[in-house]
Amino acid sequence: MAIGLLVWAAGLTPQEPVDFSREIRPLLSDRCFICHGPDEEAREADLRLDLRAGATADLGGEAAVVPGKPEESLLMRRVRHERPRRLMPPPRSKLSLSEEEIALLERWIAEGADYEEHWAFVRPERPTVPEVEDAGWARDDLDRFVLARLEAAGRAPAPEAGRATWLRRVHFDLSGLPPTPEELDAFLADDAPDAYGRVVDGLLASTRYGERLASDWLDAARYAETYGYQSDVGMRVWPWRDWVIGAFNEDLRWDDFVTWQLAGDLLEEPTHDQRLATAFNRLHRQTNEGGSTEEEYRVEYVADRVHTFGTAFLGLTMECARCHDHKYDPISQEEYYRLFAFFDDIDESGLYSHFTNAVPTPTLWLPDAQQEQSLGELGARVAEREAALAAAREEALAGLAAWLAEQPERLEVAGRTAAFDFDAALEGALPNAIAEGPAGKMGGGVELVEGRGGKALRLDGDGGVSFPGVGAFTRNDPFTIALRMRPTRATERAVVFHRSRAWTDAGSRGYQLLLEDGELSASLIHFWPGNALRVRALEPLPLDRWSHVAFVYDGSSRAAGLELWVDGVRIETEVVRDALTRTILGGGDLNLTIGERFRDRGFAGGEVDDLEVFDRRLTAGELAVLAARSEESLAEAPNVAPAELEPAAQRELFLATGAPGVTTQLQELKAARVAQAAVVGRVPEIMTMAALAEPRRAFFLERGSYLEPSHEVWPGTPESVLPFPEGAPPDRLGLARWLTAPENPLFGRVTVNRFWQLVFGTGLVSSSENFGSQGAEPVQRELLDYLTHELRDDGWSVKRLLRRLVLSATYRQSSRASAELLERDPDNLLLARGPVRPLSAEQLRDNALYLGELLVEKVGGPSVRPYQPPGLWHEKSGARYQEDKGEGLWRRSLYTYWKRTSPPPSMVIFDATKRDVCVVRRQRTTSPLQALALWNDPQQVEAARGLAQRVLRADLDDVARLGSLFRWCTSRAPEAAELEALGDLLASAREAFAADAEATTAYLAVGTREPEASLDPPELAAWAVVAGALFASDSTVTLR
Amino acid sequence: MTRSLDPSRGATRRDLLRGAGGALGLAGLSPLLHADGRAGLPHHAPKAKRIVYLFQSGGPSQHDLFDHKPLLIERNGEQLPDSVRQGQRLTGMSGNQTSLPLAGTQFEFARHGECGAWVSELLPHTANIVDKLCFVRSMYTEAINHDPAVTFFMTGAQIAGRPSAGAWIDYGLGSLNRDLPAFCVLVTKNKGGQPLYARLWGAGFLSAQHQGVQLRAGKDPVLYLKDPEGLPAGLRERSVEALRRLHEAQLEREGDPALRARIEQWALAHRMQSSVPEVCDLSDEPEETFELYGEDARDPGTYAANCLLARRLLERDVRCVQLFHKGWDQHGGLPNAIRTQCRETDQASAALVLDLERRGLLEDTLVVWGGEFGRTNYSQGKLTANDYGRDHHPRCWTIWMAGAGVRQGFTHGATDELGYNIVEDPVHVHDLNATLLHQLGIDHERLTYLYQGRHFRLTDVHGRVVEELLA
Repeated sequence: MAIGLLVWAAGLTPQEPVDFSREIRPLLSDRCFICHGPDEEAREADLRLDLRAGATADLGGEAAVVPGKPEESLLMRRVRHERPRRLMPPPRSKLSLSEEEIALLERWIAEGADYEEHWAFVRPERPTVPEVEDAGWARDDLDRFVLARLEAAGRAPAPEAGRATWLRRVHFDLSGLPPTPEELDAFLADDAPDAYGRVVDGLLASTRYGERLASDWLDAARYAETYGYQSDVGMRVWPWRDWVIGAFNEDLRWDDFVTWQLAGDLLEEPTHDQRLATAFNRLHRQTNEGGSTEEEYRVEYVADRVHTFGTAFLGLTMECARCHDHKYDPISQEEYYRLFAFFDDIDESGLYSHFTNAVPTPTLWLPDAQQEQSLGELGARVAEREAALAAAREEALAGLAAWLAEQPERLEVAGRTAAFDFDAALEGALPNAIAEGPAGKMGGGVELVEGRGGKALRLDGDGGVSFPGVGAFTRNDPFTIALRMRPTRATERAVVFHRSRAWTDAGSRGYQLLLEDGELSASLIHFWPGNALRVRALEPLPLDRWSHVAFVYDGSSRAAGLELWVDGVRIETEVVRDALTRTILGGGDLNLTIGERFRDRGFAGGEVDDLEVFDRRLTAGELAVLAARSEESLAEAPNVAPAELEPAAQRELFLATGAPGVTTQLQELKAARVAQAAVVGRVPEIMTMAALAEPRRAFFLERGSYLEPSHEVWPGTPESVLPFPEGAPPDRLGLARWLTAPENPLFGRVTVNRFWQLVFGTGLVSSSENFGSQGAEPVQRELLDYLTHELRDDGWSVKRLLRRLVLSATYRQSSRASAELLERDPDNLLLARGPVRPLSAEQLRDNALYLGELLVEKVGGPSVRPYQPPGLWHEKSGARYQEDKGEGLWRRSLYTYWKRTSPPPSMVIFDATKRDVCVVRRQRTTSPLQALALWNDPQQVEAARGLAQRVLRADLDDVARLGSLFRWCTSRAPEAAELEALGDLLASAREAFAADAEATTAYLAVGTREPEASLDPPELAAWAVVAGALFASDSTVTLR
Repeated sequence: MTRSLDPSRGATRRDLLRGAGGALGLAGLSPLLHADGRAGLPHHAPKAKRIVYLFQSGGPSQHDLFDHKPLLIERNGEQLPDSVRQGQRLTGMSGNQTSLPLAGTQFEFARHGECGAWVSELLPHTANIVDKLCFVRSMYTEAINHDPAVTFFMTGAQIAGRPSAGAWIDYGLGSLNRDLPAFCVLVTKNKGGQPLYARLWGAGFLSAQHQGVQLRAGKDPVLYLKDPEGLPAGLRERSVEALRRLHEAQLEREGDPALRARIEQWALAHRMQSSVPEVCDLSDEPEETFELYGEDARDPGTYAANCLLARRLLERDVRCVQLFHKGWDQHGGLPNAIRTQCRETDQASAALVLDLERRGLLEDTLVVWGGEFGRTNYSQGKLTANDYGRDHHPRCWTIWMAGAGVRQGFTHGATDELGYNIVEDPVHVHDLNATLLHQLGIDHERLTYLYQGRHFRLTDVHGRVVEELLA
């Protein structure tokens, strides 16, 4: 390690003591902790070096570290050992210590081997603002911290950057777009003392500010428009993105901004926006790959939420602790799963639906104003009809006695729409007892065997019987499906009958009767598990015995309206789900099927007979009749007269079949429900968090595997960061309170660092994703802590924080640096100069559109599909990219449709993140692909032509025009050499286009915006080439 | 100084500012940022300078191509014995089937070459070159579905966000040439089947400059390579020249050495505008080339054309070429579908090996052929007299390698008599990756990158160089 430089940088003399946090902990962490750190399982020789007590502990007469005595310290002997077998770190670890590093350890031990707790886990003190010599330089107290550091190192800050340079910087940083020449002129002419401040206030007040800040937050939120993984179907989450833009524009307090996203659903009487904000936790990737294990991926999703929480808010890497205790930071695997338990609290599926477009539950509805109104009216109407029905039932009862007196001796069960006795099959067709009713179709593996009176179906679990045209009920239709069945095997799961396309591949959309651990289970499902009804028997159905089973539903979309009857008796059930609000149709198969389902477990070994379907909810008396019917024939009902029934059964039968007033009300209620469902079906939804009333049990997963849960865990937070406050609710809201508490040592610092990085390019902690012991030590820790306190005291206002940063003397410095400074401090950690950054991918494209008068400034809405080279989606997955026409081509880049498996090249070529996982720091690269994109992307070519048109409209000579062009692109005037280079290019271009009319026409036709007809085509083309070159020049694409 | 800064390729600002020895710059301020996971490269004398990976996406059936199991054929239609399955998990696609009938292959197998390796009738050209190949019949992996399995194979992790093997290689070894990307990706056009994703050749957390550059059939082999319509000849050159002058002026003005990188990168971009079309233009290939690779090779974007293009790239010292050919995911109707796959790939795969050999390139070019997992020995769906399907099977499958110091005419590993479990010399995906890196002169445990506080490797904390495969 280069101690000399360190000393120079820190302004220390060689006699100063070694700094544990800055010099020793990183060494121990990097080279030793993997075996001698916090991870108990992996710890070797019972030695832990992350704590002083561990390092100095007695190891049988000696100690790894004997403070003050390096010669007695085992550690020193081992790091210098000559025999490879004894050398530390062991050669097989491929880790090693340099001579300088060993000398540093030696000095540290000689000086007493002091430990300090890792800085980031200690609550920041409010530091005193330091005294500085050049007090006049500082414009804000924050500058005094920077200056004090520089003065200690014997350096001076860089001179102030020119006003135009500052204006360009601040425009891009706060709005994502450059200043116009008019804005430049106005600012340069504004001598008022508050000129800078007014510019900043103007920028912060523009909606462009929210778009710029949101664009940055989307990386952390791993925001995309598709689910990722292989099929990579689209997901509609842009309303969350629009909420983010709005939140920044309104300057929503940052602690609230975060709390809403983490736990908005748990706030008291949450607002629509508070619930919408929680979509943040659902933006992770999801899969629907056939054959995937649901629980495996559900665990993956929860883990992603934990990792995102760790990286975005704590600056800690949680990933390590998923499979074992963290190797470097004091986060145990137990603590990982305690965090996991917070995010494991929603009614979700690990797989989204392949066969339907259901939004994975839980969801929030996003009705537009008209839908909102309709829903209100229709809801009231349904309630009205329900009340009217109840009243009609009461009223009708007066006629019960008279009706009974008129009833025949034999009870007729009305409403039968299909009936199958399975007594004969003709070439696989099973005749329907209803005249002209469609026949059933026998699949392979199904046999007809001796059943109850005649034949019955015997099922093998793989084959089934389908009934085309039978059973396509909606959730508003009352219906009854009755059959006789005889299970012969005890299985975990068996599909008896269903109307659906598939199990998890369709989110189980439809209705179904299953045996789960032998117990009957009836469901109506939009998307399992969050939008469904399910009731389940408390006792198993007997094996090897025929039972008459009926699935009875009243069309109410309520679990109370879903009944199971066995042998004519309604059985006791538990309600498993009672939240059906959307259609049960869809998925592509509308037929009732017995015995099997796509990629599900069928009714193996089961026998089925006498299937009947009714388009009504049958009543007790009728079901008793069906069950008690003779074995011989479906037609032959036992001779039961309504008058012989129990009074309750008589009443129900009368109300269902003999009371026209009730029937009318039932029809009206159904009509109201159908009307309501029609509107509901059009209301869009978005995935959000909605905590389960009964929390799911969370488990410690051995090796991180969903297959190896060991013991139950309860929500909790890493002790080393901050204990969970007593009395706080053990849910995500409690977690948010813990996170944003003043005692939390990380959250405030991570927040300040995020916004520092936004405007300075590099965070005060340069590893903004990792504040742990393997992260970078902040060179300006006092400044970080100072701003952390200031932000909190200032009500977590991001706008006010940014205002201070961009008005500071530190930010106003020129970015030019001497070669010596560049070499010593390439990352500008000392802040002895202003920031240099490339424009982000979004800024780069938005800038071109803006200069070229193409940018369509419209805030929010569905994402758009601008120009993209053809075939990129198709070659990966067969999907087609449908390019927008008009407006969609020219919106700001944060609205560009983001497909995870094929992200837009105009973004990723310029180092945008992939949006697969949370990333809080972008890379900065320079590659030939960037040059090619700047030169040849039609978006750039079209925009360059737009800028050329702009400068050609004014009556200027070539030099003035080149100057104008240059200033649009760079916010400054060209120097002579630059003018000359551009002038030469202009001359060549003029010559080339003047000689080739065809080429001129073709060049001007790139893109879709018509060129201005009033301009001379070869001249326009020539200027467009010059503008295009400038678009690819460093002065345009680098912010200095 | 551990690695020369290669001006012909992308570079991060950090690289540039550091330059030679610049890594010392602020060592004291943040030492860990500067730990170089590339120290000491190459770690040993490499056998391979280049690698070409013929990735067969979807999971080719080893039972129908390489792993000959007479007993499986004999017991065709019988149930998969529980003693063989041993309770191992199956996918949800066949895992709920009540019946799991063993499915022997319907294709003829024969021994070939001096080594006597078994190859089925589906791969006559591959069968002809078995004496040059090294078969591994005992590959196994951890994932059972495509996305995690392909991602695992390409990046050493099932989850997204890690660098691909090619990116690791580029990061570690850099480019061998001045005019072309160091890591090129070729995807067969117009193939259905399981989707691919850009992350399979992505750079993950490594600098984006290491990601694979896809060369595509058509006008623009590299995205945005072609000048806009109508740009007169010579004007791009003028424009690049003007940019160079602007950048020189800016360098003068700002003194920022990062500008040198920009000048270099912009110049490389211009060179690529001619070097890439040149390498993609097959018109200078003699007739005999197309006899070797097959007629398909005339049609850009086919697997055969991509094999030929791979040879041209390797000839020009592109370090890493990755082909992707989809369509091996035969859950049903396998006999027909696999015929098509083999017809598309067999001749060209073999041709590439032969062509590299006769040009003297095979001795330092490593060729790898394989998919992300194998397929079950039982039928998914109905087994009939002439049809069957096979589900995913991560517990064993076959790949082959050739060239660059791997053994020739050699078969490693074995599966049980029904081809369900490995009984000899299992080779994990991490082991394979460790071995590939080893041939390139890289110790897989020492090529690391510090990200989020952890030293990441292609092989995570696993992997063993399979010495038995090496000559």
